[in-house]
Amino acid sequence: MDDWELKPAKDLNLPPHERHKYILREAGLLEGILRTVWWSVIRMSLRVYHRIEVHGRENLPKTPPYIIVANHSSHLDALSIGSALPLSFGNKTFPLAAGDLFFENPAAAAFSAWALNALPVWRRRAGRQCLADLRQRLLEEQCIYILFPEGTRSRTGQMAAFREGLGMFVAETDVPVVPCLIEGAHAAWPPHARVPRPKKIRLYVDEPCQFRDATNNRKGWKRVAQTVEEAVRRLSVVHGCEILPPKSAKNAES
Amino acid sequence: MIPEVAVERLFGFRHAFDAPVTLWLTVAILTVMTASGAALFVLNRRNAEQFGEAWLRWKSWVWIAGCILIPILLGAAWTIAAVTLLSLGCYREFTRATGLFREKTISVIVVLGIFVLAFASLDHWERLFFATGPLTVGLITIATIPSDRPKGYIQRVALGVLGFSLFGFSLGYMSNLANDVNYRPILLLMIFAVSLNDVFAYCFGKALGRRKLLPATSPGKTMAGFLGALFSTSLVVAVLGHFVFAGSAVDHIGHLIFLGVLISALGQLGDLVISSIKRDVGVKDIGVVIPGHGGLLDRFDSLVLVPPAVFHYLSLVLGPLGGDQPVRIFSSMAQWTIGN
Repeated sequence: MDDWELKPAKDLNLPPHERHKYILREAGLLEGILRTVWWSVIRMSLRVYHRIEVHGRENLPKTPPYIIVANHSSHLDALSIGSALPLSFGNKTFPLAAGDLFFENPAAAAFSAWALNALPVWRRRAGRQCLADLRQRLLEEQCIYILFPEGTRSRTGQMAAFREGLGMFVAETDVPVVPCLIEGAHAAWPPHARVPRPKKIRLYVDEPCQFRDATNNRKGWKRVAQTVEEAVRRLSVVHGCEILPPKSAKNAES
Repeated sequence: MIPEVAVERLFGFRHAFDAPVTLWLTVAILTVMTASGAALFVLNRRNAEQFGEAWLRWKSWVWIAGCILIPILLGAAWTIAAVTLLSLGCYREFTRATGLFREKTISVIVVLGIFVLAFASLDHWERLFFATGPLTVGLITIATIPSDRPKGYIQRVALGVLGFSLFGFSLGYMSNLANDVNYRPILLLMIFAVSLNDVFAYCFGKALGRRKLLPATSPGKTMAGFLGALFSTSLVVAVLGHFVFAGSAVDHIGHLIFLGVLISALGQLGDLVISSIKRDVGVKDIGVVIPGHGGLLDRFDSLVLVPPAVFHYLSLVLGPLGGDQPVRIFSSMAQWTIGN
């Protein structure tokens, strides 16, 4: 826990919709309670409805900051990862979500902020500043990001190449990146389905990687993205998952 | 069974205008709102640039007046609910402005304290109400000890105690006041006088104000505004109070004037308390809940110190407020109670 600071909330005096979209948004007691309730319900439903299994939980670092990275083919992905983390980390865990999908509409933005604790990443107008703010928050506030470096949900369930943006958060830092593989989420709730189906989901957690020696430039970011992508692909091979195409294939829509 | 007289006080909206002053004040507020609204509507149509802000503020005033008047008229239970929401809202804004919101443990205790105060008021269990103040303060002081973080201990505990005292306990006295059968005119008189006090201070300050009152704390306030409001509000309270407390021990010119001075002085001091907090943390407005006004605390700042003073002064002169009403309405029904 940080030392005491007589410092107003960073989002003080922002109107609700602006506040929900604000990257440096700070949660209060009510949001914390609602989020705990939300995550408890999600955990329960994932256990009962999807019989979720988490393998390699011991690989998760004991304390933030860290980034969890995984393949992305379903809205259940972030929920599956979030439910594998301790409930006490609820206010410190931020799934990074597509701004144009989760934050354009005020109601969706309120849900994304209050329930998911998501932070927006604007795909078309992201800009370096947005990513720089996210990197600063990760380092200063000791939080956890859930990130899907493919940039979008795969429509076929097969993983696309990881984008360099991931590297911008962790290059030249000691922040661990935890590669994960999610199996079954696409079958349980594919992008075209309106409601989830009761299919089994498995989450495999790999050992964390660190990138202190990766340079904080395009070359270093690329190396980070490739290394983590390799780790996820390796997990799929080890666990015999059929979600990955040959490395060159482009199956995901952008 | 809940006594009939308690049900009538808690939910008996048919008694809303039993006291003539309640009707007068309600009509006065509605008349002022309607007249000013009509004038601003026309002015805003003619010159939106100049009167747009005033029109926005008026629209917010309609909501504020409704949120105050309707619960008070509907019954004590609704009044207590509204006061509890006001307490929670004000405390939330205070914590976000000072950074105390990052201390979740303290906020949990303050919020629980506010709910216990609300229950004690609803139940008409005054011993519980008065016990909740010091006991919550005690809990706040020990709450973060187990986290083994001595650094910042004084600041977080002091802010927690200040937040609970001002926005939980002090505002909670309005809930406790609702246990008196005559609570409607008393609360309306108090809130009406506090609002009018702001208007008087502004008008006297604009007309006669030269010497600043406390320029570093609140540059807009003047000595003339302070004294003018003190005089005018005391007069209004004395006149209206004569009808609210007709035939009781308070219905004496000395008591009524003193009550007016108390409301006016503490109203303006409450304003200065919130100004000091805002200046200390370096924010202009403390929230955005009320368009054109800012946060709840920017609007209700003058009310913060008044309720305990009015409650205790009236009970010192009149005897226990609500003394003729049933006590422990709900808790006495439970088997485990150990007596009143």
